[in-house]
Amino acid sequence: MERSKTNISGETKTAYLFNAPLIITAVIFVLIPVIGTIVTSLMRDVTFLPEKFLVFENYQRLFSDRHFFESLQFTLLFVVVSVSFELIFGLAFALLLNETLPFRGFLRVVILIPWVIPIAISARIWELIYNFNYGIFNYIILQLNISDQPVSWLGSSIGAFAAVVVSDVWKTTPFMAIILLTGLSAINRDLYKQARIDGTNFLQRFFKITLPLLKPVLVVALLFRSIDAIRIFDLIYVLTGGGPGGSTSSLSIYAFNYYVSGDFGYGSAVSVIVFLAAGLLSVLYIKFGKFRETLQ
Amino acid sequence: MNVKLWIIFSLLFLSFFIINSCSQRNDDFSIWIGGSPEEVDFWEKVINDFNAKYDCNLILVSQPTYTDQRKQSLIISLEGKQPNPDLFLMDVVWINQFIQSDWLELLTGFAEKSKFQTEPFFKRVLNLVDKYDNKLFALPVFMDVALLYYRTDLIDQPPETWGQLKELSLRIQKEQRKTNDSFDGFVWQGAQYEGLVCSFLEFIASNGGSILQNDSVKINSKENEAALQFMQNLIHKYKISPENTYTEMKEEEVRREFQNGNALFERNWTYAWQLHNSDDSNVKGKVGMKILPHFNRHKSVSTLGGWHIGMSKYSDNKEKAWKFIKYVTSYEVQKNMVLTIGWNPGRKDVYDDEELNKKLPHLKTLKYVFDNTVSRPTVPYYAQISEVIQRNVNNCLANKISPSDALKEIEIEMKNIIKIYGEK
Repeated sequence: MERSKTNISGETKTAYLFNAPLIITAVIFVLIPVIGTIVTSLMRDVTFLPEKFLVFENYQRLFSDRHFFESLQFTLLFVVVSVSFELIFGLAFALLLNETLPFRGFLRVVILIPWVIPIAISARIWELIYNFNYGIFNYIILQLNISDQPVSWLGSSIGAFAAVVVSDVWKTTPFMAIILLTGLSAINRDLYKQARIDGTNFLQRFFKITLPLLKPVLVVALLFRSIDAIRIFDLIYVLTGGGPGGSTSSLSIYAFNYYVSGDFGYGSAVSVIVFLAAGLLSVLYIKFGKFRETLQ
Repeated sequence: MNVKLWIIFSLLFLSFFIINSCSQRNDDFSIWIGGSPEEVDFWEKVINDFNAKYDCNLILVSQPTYTDQRKQSLIISLEGKQPNPDLFLMDVVWINQFIQSDWLELLTGFAEKSKFQTEPFFKRVLNLVDKYDNKLFALPVFMDVALLYYRTDLIDQPPETWGQLKELSLRIQKEQRKTNDSFDGFVWQGAQYEGLVCSFLEFIASNGGSILQNDSVKINSKENEAALQFMQNLIHKYKISPENTYTEMKEEEVRREFQNGNALFERNWTYAWQLHNSDDSNVKGKVGMKILPHFNRHKSVSTLGGWHIGMSKYSDNKEKAWKFIKYVTSYEVQKNMVLTIGWNPGRKDVYDDEELNKKLPHLKTLKYVFDNTVSRPTVPYYAQISEVIQRNVNNCLANKISPSDALKEIEIEMKNIIKIYGEK
């Protein structure tokens, strides 16, 4: 009895030891910066002014800042719209690639191409596609006589919003598709055979078998994508720079602009909001995705 | 066994850091410079010559081309009190913030000790940006102004006023559009970025307006409203500036448009001159340049741009760093700079150089323009003000708000910024 006890604690110790590099890395690169940002957000940390402890003054300023709320609104709208589209397309591609198609292996690799292109580069590519003078969109529109004037895609808030969503959906749908595909391939094929014998149609099979069994993977994919989308920075930084007129300025872009201008305190306060929003989102997903139940 | 392994790994980990921090020699010092590849090549040569001449070990660390990214990396190092960089180039609009953040080493003492003269520099520029409380913190390496470029093959006489520019553009654009759909009268920088503040300042200042005077906000004035209305009209009423002015037009977009032969007038910095006259240019030999137009009864102005050299307060090699500042701002290096990369010297006396004037006749025009520059507000919170101006002026150019609403909004937001950051 006693012997086995010491054995278990020895195992636990080894387990901790094995996990130590990860835990240390997480503390250094995640926990400390997060705490640092929270502390900074409570200070007046402006390069050209003496440092001062403000408590919640930065947050008070945040709540009377119209542009912060515009930025928050844009970010949330972006998360909802782009993640929905990614889910629809991702699921469609996953279902398609799960069938026995010719060149299936090849197609599964090809679909990953947008995902492996670095974001800055794909943002630059899209910028050229939307370009007013040389862009392919305007070329097509003019050639097909849909309009006799080139359209300034990135020039209106709606246009720029759509442009950001399209680029993001193009870029991250493969991620969604691949994760969902792994979920699909784990579903036992016999279930479908049986259902077919029972005379069900495609939609019934999809809603009664595929979706419920895919749910755990679906929730993980949605969680990853939503957290990623809520802190979107690079795509917008390169594609629109937050314009026109600040209409595509996401929370991260908004915070970044304050860092660059030297106000680290206020920028940190915005970052803390991004952090809280991402955290809240995860909690919601886990709660409503009934993650614990499905895991058990 | 486990313990031994752990010790070995920890030692490896530690030694990695130690080696990393020791790899730099004590007498090394560094300068951070960014820009186009040709510019970085030029600096490499200057630094090699300097190292050979003074037996120093100055290292060039090249930064990105984009101004914002250069500022970002400098802010991080300086805020972290890093001994590197020792030297760096600053955009004119950063200098005040850098001084007030207490990041710049005072140069007055070094100058006095080595009997360094500031007379050969443009006094107006030193007073506007390099000095604070009459103390010297930086020196101009390269100066820039915006100019009006025009097509000498399409018009005989360049315009003096904005009104004349409009009339000429309307007439020539109509003629040219018969054969070239994409021809525009006047191209300028209107996208939401720093360049928009420069164009905006030129329009309002050439109508007698201003943004900020001695910490009091002067933005919401009749003069500014008329000027901003004119900017909006160029795109939406007269239609002589293209629709994408307020979405895409930055320096390079504007330059390419003009260089492809698709515009009559162009507002751009001095760098465009040599490129317009290069062999692959469609407008080679058909380009003229002059100071920008003005509104009736007012004076032409240009926004002051350019890069100045400063020394970090946290530098551990200040004497040598000062040697390099002296070297870079010397007559020979400055002359060499204009000859190799076409940058305009920060020293006034170089503009009178006979050899240069023979080779580059446009320098005379520039010297005149430099005496008519306006500077963007020299306050440490300039970046915040700039953001407000960019956003609202851009909104106005997009025809989303009227000029008077835009200026009212800028006024409110600027006063708010001054309330937050203006504390002495």
